[in-house]
Amino acid sequence: MTAQRVVVDPVTRIEGHLRVEAMLDGHGVIRDAMSSGTMWRGIEVILQGRDPRSAWAFCERICGVCTTVHALASVRAVENAVGITVPPNADIIRNIMFLTQMVQDHVIHFYHLHALDWVDVVSALKADPAATAALAQKVSPHWPKASPGYFSDVLGTLQRFVASGQLGIFANAYWGHPAYKLPPEANLMAVAHYLEALVWQKEIIKIHTIFGGKNPHPNYLVGGMASAIDMQSDNAINIERLNYVRGLAQRAQEIVEHLYIPDLMAVASFYPEWTTIGGGVGNYMAYGDVPQKSVGDPSTFLFPRGVILDKNLGEVLPVDPTDPEQIREQIAHSWYRYPKGTEELHPWDGITEPSYTGPKPPYEHLDENDAYTWLKTPRWRGHSMEVGPLARMLVGFASGRDDFKEVVTEALGRLNVPATALFSTLGRTAARGLETRLAVHWLMNELDRLMTNIKNGDQQVADTSLWEPETWPAETKGFGFTEAPRGALGHWVHIKDGKIANYQAVVPSTWNASPRDAKGQHGAYESALIGTPMADPKRPVEILRTIHSFDPCLACASH
Amino acid sequence: MSLKPGMSTYDVLREHGVDRRTFLRFCTATAAAMGLDATMVPRVVEALENKPRIPVIWLHGLECTCCSESFIRSSHPITQDIIFNMISLDYDDTLQAAAGRQAEEIREALVRDHPGEYVLAVEGNAPTRDGGVYCTVGGRTFLDILQETAAKAKFVVAWGSCASNGCVQAAHPNPTGAKPVKDLISGKAVINVPGCPPIAEVMTGVLTYVLTFGRLPELDRFGRPKMFYGKRIHDKCYRRAYFDAGQFVETWDDDGAKKGWCLYKMGCRGPTTYNSCPTFKWNNGVSYPIQSGHGCLGCSEAGFWDNSSFYDRLTSIPVPGIEATPELIGKTLAVAAGVGVAAHFTSFMIKRGIGSKTENVEDGKD
Amino acid sequence: MATRVERFDPSDVAAQPHRYFRRKYVWQWPIRAFHWVNAICILVLFATGLYIANPILSPTGEAYGNFVMGRVLQVHYTFAFIFIVNFLWRIYWFWMGNPYARSGFPFVWKASWWRDLFRQAGDYLALRRGHVHLGHNALGGLVYTLFVIFLGWAQILTGLAMYSESNPGGFWSGIAGWVIPLAGGSFQVRMWHYLFAWVFITFSIVHVYIVFYDGQQYKNGLVTSMISGVKFYQEGDIDCDNWIS
Ligand code: HEM
Ligand code: HEM
Ligand code: NFV
Ligand code: SF4
Ligand code: SF4
Ligand code: F3S
Ligand SMILES: [Mg+2]
Repeated sequence: MTAQRVVVDPVTRIEGHLRVEAMLDGHGVIRDAMSSGTMWRGIEVILQGRDPRSAWAFCERICGVCTTVHALASVRAVENAVGITVPPNADIIRNIMFLTQMVQDHVIHFYHLHALDWVDVVSALKADPAATAALAQKVSPHWPKASPGYFSDVLGTLQRFVASGQLGIFANAYWGHPAYKLPPEANLMAVAHYLEALVWQKEIIKIHTIFGGKNPHPNYLVGGMASAIDMQSDNAINIERLNYVRGLAQRAQEIVEHLYIPDLMAVASFYPEWTTIGGGVGNYMAYGDVPQKSVGDPSTFLFPRGVILDKNLGEVLPVDPTDPEQIREQIAHSWYRYPKGTEELHPWDGITEPSYTGPKPPYEHLDENDAYTWLKTPRWRGHSMEVGPLARMLVGFASGRDDFKEVVTEALGRLNVPATALFSTLGRTAARGLETRLAVHWLMNELDRLMTNIKNGDQQVADTSLWEPETWPAETKGFGFTEAPRGALGHWVHIKDGKIANYQAVVPSTWNASPRDAKGQHGAYESALIGTPMADPKRPVEILRTIHSFDPCLACASH
Repeated sequence: MSLKPGMSTYDVLREHGVDRRTFLRFCTATAAAMGLDATMVPRVVEALENKPRIPVIWLHGLECTCCSESFIRSSHPITQDIIFNMISLDYDDTLQAAAGRQAEEIREALVRDHPGEYVLAVEGNAPTRDGGVYCTVGGRTFLDILQETAAKAKFVVAWGSCASNGCVQAAHPNPTGAKPVKDLISGKAVINVPGCPPIAEVMTGVLTYVLTFGRLPELDRFGRPKMFYGKRIHDKCYRRAYFDAGQFVETWDDDGAKKGWCLYKMGCRGPTTYNSCPTFKWNNGVSYPIQSGHGCLGCSEAGFWDNSSFYDRLTSIPVPGIEATPELIGKTLAVAAGVGVAAHFTSFMIKRGIGSKTENVEDGKD
Repeated sequence: MATRVERFDPSDVAAQPHRYFRRKYVWQWPIRAFHWVNAICILVLFATGLYIANPILSPTGEAYGNFVMGRVLQVHYTFAFIFIVNFLWRIYWFWMGNPYARSGFPFVWKASWWRDLFRQAGDYLALRRGHVHLGHNALGGLVYTLFVIFLGWAQILTGLAMYSESNPGGFWSGIAGWVIPLAGGSFQVRMWHYLFAWVFITFSIVHVYIVFYDGQQYKNGLVTSMISGVKFYQEGDIDCDNWIS
């Protein structure tokens, strides 16, 4: 086999427009890679001059998949700038919405965006329903839908579907590729659960609908939340609404514990080689989230804040996103212009000025020596970082948090792999599942905290003392953050005379999908691809596996 | 009626115990409903006996993918039924298994080999500035792909406010020159299904309407299906009684907010927004923005991003480049008039004071 | 300024005709009726409109016991329809009335009209008693056309467009619904309607002042003319302006 360049564009089963170019050596091993975001909308530019209190709605439309997290980061940024502390209930409701989002997004990612990298739908046709039922009962003894009849129905549906010759979303894919390792029964079980999860995901997000009026894109409010609480009103958050939330959260717990995690473990056990592939940069960062007191006090966050460099779990370094020395964006390989061209700008001083220098479309290749993406290039103290579930789990683990240690060690034990297995494609995918376990558990916790507050007579959800822009300082800056499903998300706002003077978002997928920087350090996607062997470069399943393990969101990344 | 994979309408009806004679009567009725005369009945019979699931190409341009997210939240029908039984979702880069060339080949083959047979669903819109470089797929501009795919489509569905109206990326100053689908293609029926995103059941409702009745829904002045966008939020809002009573939330979380009073003074755009939120509500009837205490943003209306703060009732006058509110302009005009009048009156009084003296000297009679 | 009232003396009139005023019936009753109905409508519409825009009263108690906004809207609509009928009536009377009913028409193609326009503006600015008109002067006519007729149409159409919104596809939607896409959407229609309301009030302030000023300056009985229909003029003031056919 000769050296070649593999282009995957569009990378599908992701959000947004991602292009990957991989340079293979003569043995079909990826030696270099480029990740290019091929869309830009200019939301940061559009925000200029607008009412900071409306900004959350614009930011939320950065992405409809992680919908809610940008709104959360945005209201926090504005509150931080003008000095608002939201009432405890608002923080809790925001936590509830945040955790709901994380659980839903992770489950969708696993079943609907990632599973087809590991599951061969066509192979499922050969499955024996009775054997599948036996497998399912073994994998998840508490999941009720596991009878031979159930799987034979699913099989029947699948057979008719395939026989129709119209394969729809399954058409022209990589079925039969040698990289698929699951037996037909496991494949059939996964197909059945693909459909289960599709039906369920629309339930959990009803929690957003209750507090935010709709999903996708629930409503937020600077200063708190708009959903008033009044136990004596049928027109506010009352006991019926809270019961509704509780029911949905309970169901979510069942899905995560008895469907998602068992499936994840089952699939992972067939792909041990993927615990050594796809590690990537080895630097991990989390801003932390789920405040128990207030966003101003990171020590109480359920997701801790910190940085791990070079896979060193012995040390968690502190992160301060407001420190101009720490987080800075470069544009060496990005289609943007800075006044001097080589600056590294902290987001408070960030500039978003597009400047396309790529080839005129239609084009065959991008040039890795030139600018090649609509993503900027964020770096932490000059290091390329990975953010996301793996980063969060590692920071939690390395911070010595028992809850993190428990789920991680249990999973490692079940898969019988060493801790280093985490630094891999499969490790990333597993970390997502493990944090979902934590999140769904915390979700119930937050709900209890809300109930306790209400019981103690606190029904306040918004503080409007600083609602009017006239009450704000003439000029001020703020920072808002969250741990979006895909990782550390920060919004930086500069407000002048009650209007947005500058707004910058540095988004999880911006970190992970960033291009190489001025020093030639690859972003997390690129670096994770390097070293991956490809069985059949024309059918890029391996690339999809590693890229999907990050759960790319490109609308987020370039915004 | 839902079509199962690989089954024609006839197969489905037969499975439900319908005999051939009844089937033919059904065909005649269907033909009549579609406005066809009797000579067309055999064609209808043929179509319903053999018709496969209609292929759908779902393109994504400048967007947030929220319309897809909304779509998969549909409860009736559930999304699974739509994408596996009713349509053949042959291309949708958010959900499909194939990637890269293998994905593009599907779309290219449909355009090439099945012109006029597939439905084009568009989420997001296309940038037009700088040759469309702000959105490319497979090295081609999205604009190019959109136009190519639309040219051979049976008809076009524009999902969401992006595809229908431009939405957030087209908000001032529209850095990428984003334009809605209807402005970029010609000669095709376009159904606009605005909303940011649209309600899931509105989306699946539009599709199933077309599949069931074999014709496009009635559209309003903005190309929106009347059945879902025919009425204002305000005219169906359950808080309307408070509006009429004059009972308004005055500040967030006040007593009125807890009682569920009208959000008009908090900037609610319900009076200027056409959508089904108060009737269908969101996520299978759980709530809708107003019910959860926040005003409507007007997300299904063209240009709703540029109507200034979401929290003011009277915001910008709709003249691009002018930031002043109509309130400010109006009051300024009125005050200026008052000042002008006062100035004129003062000069008149001064002059008349002098003038009347001389007149009296000249002529006391008058 | 009238300092004394002299006994009427026909011989003096014959000798010094310029010192005596003559009466002329100018505003027929339909004009006067139109005028006052119009004035009242505008005041009521403005007041109710301001409340609609910013409802400051907030009644307490249950919703069923209050109907403040509803009532204000009803009043607004009622006066709106009176305003419209009255408006149409005035347009009808434009043709049916005496020549003064047409004197406000902007005869832009006639040089004499333009001359009068600038002369009148100059006279007002310089506080001069210049040329007296029995009908409208060119400036006044132009202002009525712009600020009453044009603005009136704009306000009626935006108002009807909003009115039609609660029943899309209904009668009023057929009449004025096209305004909505023209303005770019329902929100925009409201903003225009609200802005126009202030323009009406701006007009009214200037108009009422000018009427009083003009009456004082020209001694033409202008203020009472909209009640009695009668205006006064002196020998030398021309009877009817020369651009009116
Ligand atoms: C909201 C208040 C008012 C409005 C909207 C208004 C409107 C109008 C309009 C539209 C005309 C033109 C009539 C026509 O050609 O049919 C007019 C003329 C006139 N109005 Fe008014 N009016 C108002 C108040 C008043 C008041 C308070 C007075 C006097 C006390 C007055 C005295 C007159 C007179 C004398 C004319 C004839 C002016 C001329 O010969 O140029 N108006 N007004
Ligand atoms: C001089 C004439 C008029 C004035 C000064 C006036 C003034 C106003 C003002 C200030 C508003 C509040 C706008 C807002 O904040 O949304 C309003 C609303 C409205 N007006 Fe008028 N208006 C006039 C004539 C009319 C006419 C002729 C109609 C025709 C039916 C009309 C129908 C309406 C409607 C339907 C509304 C909206 C009420 C709502 O929001 O529910 N108006 N008007
Ligand atoms: N990257 C990203 Fe998001 C997430 N998670 C945002 O903050 O998906 Ni659209
Ligand atoms: S219309 Fe709104 S929800 Fe849909 S893609 Fe566009 S921004 Fe997202
Ligand atoms: S809440 Fe909004 S839509 Fe509902 S009645 Fe009030 S103004 Fe109208
Ligand atoms: S913001 Fe959109 S979701 Fe409905 S209530 Fe308003 S149209
Ligand atoms: Mg940015």
